[in-house]
Amino acid sequence: MAITADDVSLEDIIPISLDFAVVEVSSPEELAVVGADTRVRVSHQEEELELRLPFGSHSRLFLSEVNRAWSDVCKSTTQAPRFEWISKYHKNTRGQGVVKQAPSPLDSTLTQLNEHKKTEKPSDQKGSLERDKGSSNSGTQKTRAYSSQESQGLSSREDRDDLVRSSSHTTSNKAQILAMPQFGLRDNLIKCELMKSEDIYTYLQNFSFFLGTYNVNGQTPKESLFPWLNCTSDPPDMYCVGFQELDLSKEAFFFNDTPKELEWTKAVSEALHPDAKYALVKLVRLVGIMLIFYVKNEHAAFISDVEAETVGTGIMGRMGNKGAVSIRFRFHNSDICVVNSHLAAHIEEYERRNQDYKDICSRLQFRQLDPNQPPLTIMKHDVILWIGDLNYRITELEVSNVKELISNKDFETLHNYDQLKRQIDEEAVFVGFVEGDIDFQPTYKYDTGSDLWDTSEKCRVPAWCDRILYRGKNIVQKHYQSHMALKTSDHKPVSSLLQIGIKRVNPDDYKRTFEEIVRNIDKMENECIPSVTLSKREFHFTDLKYMQHQAETLSLFNDGQVPCQFEFIQKPNESTYCKAWLTANPSKGFIANGGTVDIDFEAFVNRSTAPELNSGQEQIEDILVLHLERGKDYFISISGNYLPSCYGSSIHSLCQLKEPIQDMPQETLREMAEKSGDENAENTEKPLDIPKELWMMVDHLFRSALKQEDIFQQPGLRSEFAVIRDCLDTGIPDSLPGSNHSVAEALLLFLDALPQPVVPFSFYQQCLESCSNASQCEKIISMLPQCHKNVFNYLAAFLRELLKNSASNRLDVNILATIFASLLLKSPTKQDFAEKRKTQEFFQHFLA
Amino acid sequence: MAKQYDVLFRLLLLGDSGVGKTCLLCRFTDNEFHPSHISTIGVDFKMKTLEIDGIKVRIQIWDTAGQERYQTITKQYYRRAQGIFLVYDITSERSFQHIMKWASDVDEYAPEKIRKILVGNKSDEVDKRQVATEQGIKLANAYGMDFFETSAFTNHNITETFTRLAEQVLAANKKDLDLLRMSGNEEINLAALEEEEGLYERVASDESKGCWC
Ligand SMILES: Nc1nc2c(ncn2[C@@H]2O[C@H](COP(=O)(O)OP(=O)(O)OP(=O)(O)O)[C@@H](O)[C@H]2O)c(=O)[nH]1
Ligand SMILES: [Mg+2]
Repeated sequence: MAITADDVSLEDIIPISLDFAVVEVSSPEELAVVGADTRVRVSHQEEELELRLPFGSHSRLFLSEVNRAWSDVCKSTTQAPRFEWISKYHKNTRGQGVVKQAPSPLDSTLTQLNEHKKTEKPSDQKGSLERDKGSSNSGTQKTRAYSSQESQGLSSREDRDDLVRSSSHTTSNKAQILAMPQFGLRDNLIKCELMKSEDIYTYLQNFSFFLGTYNVNGQTPKESLFPWLNCTSDPPDMYCVGFQELDLSKEAFFFNDTPKELEWTKAVSEALHPDAKYALVKLVRLVGIMLIFYVKNEHAAFISDVEAETVGTGIMGRMGNKGAVSIRFRFHNSDICVVNSHLAAHIEEYERRNQDYKDICSRLQFRQLDPNQPPLTIMKHDVILWIGDLNYRITELEVSNVKELISNKDFETLHNYDQLKRQIDEEAVFVGFVEGDIDFQPTYKYDTGSDLWDTSEKCRVPAWCDRILYRGKNIVQKHYQSHMALKTSDHKPVSSLLQIGIKRVNPDDYKRTFEEIVRNIDKMENECIPSVTLSKREFHFTDLKYMQHQAETLSLFNDGQVPCQFEFIQKPNESTYCKAWLTANPSKGFIANGGTVDIDFEAFVNRSTAPELNSGQEQIEDILVLHLERGKDYFISISGNYLPSCYGSSIHSLCQLKEPIQDMPQETLREMAEKSGDENAENTEKPLDIPKELWMMVDHLFRSALKQEDIFQQPGLRSEFAVIRDCLDTGIPDSLPGSNHSVAEALLLFLDALPQPVVPFSFYQQCLESCSNASQCEKIISMLPQCHKNVFNYLAAFLRELLKNSASNRLDVNILATIFASLLLKSPTKQDFAEKRKTQEFFQHFLA
Repeated sequence: MAKQYDVLFRLLLLGDSGVGKTCLLCRFTDNEFHPSHISTIGVDFKMKTLEIDGIKVRIQIWDTAGQERYQTITKQYYRRAQGIFLVYDITSERSFQHIMKWASDVDEYAPEKIRKILVGNKSDEVDKRQVATEQGIKLANAYGMDFFETSAFTNHNITETFTRLAEQVLAANKKDLDLLRMSGNEEINLAALEEEEGLYERVASDESKGCWC
């Protein structure tokens, strides 16, 4: 049963064990050529095998998978799997050197045929390796096929495994990332660009191609082919030799099996030019249509990507009694395709022949090394050499006229009656092909063994059945002739020597072009890095005050080529992206390319940020890092100044300040803040009993708001709070502005902003415990630091005054206890409802 | 040992403001030079592909702000680098003095096996020279670093400098790379690869949307 890609996985096929290795073989000069095959050495114990894998991501993937599998084997403690399939090959390969294969019938005979090749090891290897790829059932063929089969097999296996163990091979991920996949696309881009700019780094060099076609009418070789194949003074660089009707037997037709393949191949090998040594690169045969491709040994190393295909156009339009065989290869930087075809017979069937030609062109497809590429057709090649028994005849002339023209050697006139010439002129067939002038008599049909025209009953009209055409640039025909000396068949062989300009790579130019391409790709990549322009890099907040909003706007313009995602990111040792008194809104988002986003920086100092700013321990200063995902980072500087305030200053500090806080030098404020924690610090001057700001507010309320309806219950005005704050902090104006409600609220805010509440945090727990005991409560208060005790008593006294006027101000003990307990007795942590009740109970003792 | 694989490194340009870090990078990646000093405020980067010993080395070069006030922030980028250019300006004695400070910051914040190279830029400014070549050599020797005098203006020694550091980083990580490749060892973290993974795919696919192929 045929094995499909889904049946195999890498681990089952490649005998991966600890002593197995696949390594890339690199030589300095080869590395320069990206696009060259990847040479790998496969070794297992003493055995070594050197292979070429096609350039590209598939080979890369294959190698990385092998390494992954290898590292899996290294890690697993269990025994490595046995590879049953390999055992039968063991006896054949053991002890053999590099790139030897199990003998196949053809192989052994070829070695006899080409004795000289033994001495020319490298090209021999290359040649036989390529040849084996086409035939089946040989050891190397299997080895060779891993590269393409495996990569397909792998991908489907990966899919399956994903369901089972989605995250279990993270270990190998990194190695893979390192090794290649992310660069696969780049490689393809580079390859693509290299192809486009081929002209820049290649130059033309002429090589001679000998082309020969011979319809042998089912005969075996009876005479030397020397006169045909050895008609040039210099040895050609390549031989492309085609036969038709190699074997007319049923066996050949049905089983595609014939001893004649070997006989004729031998005959050809023996008749090649003696002044050079040739390697057989490829042989392909379809029933009686055979094509053999030889190359001078010294050129073998520059031949690659050899593929062979056949197309039958015979019986039922499919069978191999008619059709074509073809070999494609790359020589230096040129892609060459050689076709040998045998088209439909009979004089009147010229349209059928045209059709055969078209069928061959569309149906003959070479697989590409990269399975993602569409198959390669004949016409995609730089050079196409088409030989064969095309079977076009001479029409509209009597046999006698034809023979007369022939005996007069008036081939030019005769050629006008040639169907092929007419069909080409009408562009019905072989469009774009060139055929040289025919200066030889028709090659069909002779009495076998003679030079006499067909004397049989049918007495066929002589015809130029056997032809050689070519298509491509820089081709010069050196000769085009028939070979009357050969008498084995009813056809005469034809040959042509073409001088073809082949593209060769200039290593320096190649390097330069390659680097240029890489540079351009880098440039493109750099241009694709997300980027924005910022309307401003520095933002300044002037005279920022307590509970005052200031905002500045930053515009981000996406000047890059891709959409981008931005975000302010944290700096080291900081938990947020900016200081607590600042926010950026929005702090992250998305900008389409060409788009703009406005970000508002809002500065706002509240009771948690005020204390350190008041004391000068903290400044309005920050640097924000704006990060673009997969892109750059931008630094944004924030600066400014803060006006110190009694809000957020401690009772202790404020008691030291006889002047408004903003009249004090920053230095004094800082010193005071440092001392404030220290109860016993010696004060040179006697401090105030209570902060004067507190006194100003309470005194104001005492004098004008005792009877104020809903006092402490109705909110004040924001704008009035701002002027009250400024008055407290600057001493201007002399008396407090604003409504009673605003002053009342300013007082509450003042108490709320104290860094240490009136009842300091350290007393909080005690207060809760003694809340039901009035005398205990009083005792705790008596233990408070002096200034705190003063403030507490002062406020309690004031509130008791308020309660005396409850008829007009509508206050009661409950309301006041609820409002003030939460300000005077604050929990250092979070306060629950039960605690809240206790603080109120505590404070109520002082309102009675 | 197999060796043809692609590697990604991160290199960092450090040095006082105005020594020419951004110009060095621009010259190296785009072969351009801008005479005006637009101080880098942030961290910028560009990609460049080099071929070293047949290995395609992709380097990501980070250009940092040289201004002093940003240094606490730029330090956090050190630990993600494999190589560092310590750049001074040969016309500024002060920038040369500061190399010591930059180097000690690198010692403190960068990975231990980071490779460093000393660069004296603006070698074209012959008349304004304040730091003799010998001084640079001496300092480099003291730190065991290689030293180049460069000019972003005349394109002198630019490729050489970048290539040298890349070579050194490659050599320093060679063992790990081979090991990583052969075994998939998790402990070796060359460039924070997890982060980079996406970048290439993204950039690459953006490219493919263009006119390629
Ligand atoms: N003559 C001369 N001038 C240079 C050279 N390299 C840079 N400059 C100039 O030096 C100035 C500063 O260059 P930048 O590259 O912007 O400096 P930087 O190190 O990036 O500075 P920051 O971004 O602030 O850290 C610019 O005016 C450049 O034109 C050089 O090789 N020769
Ligand atoms: Mg800069």
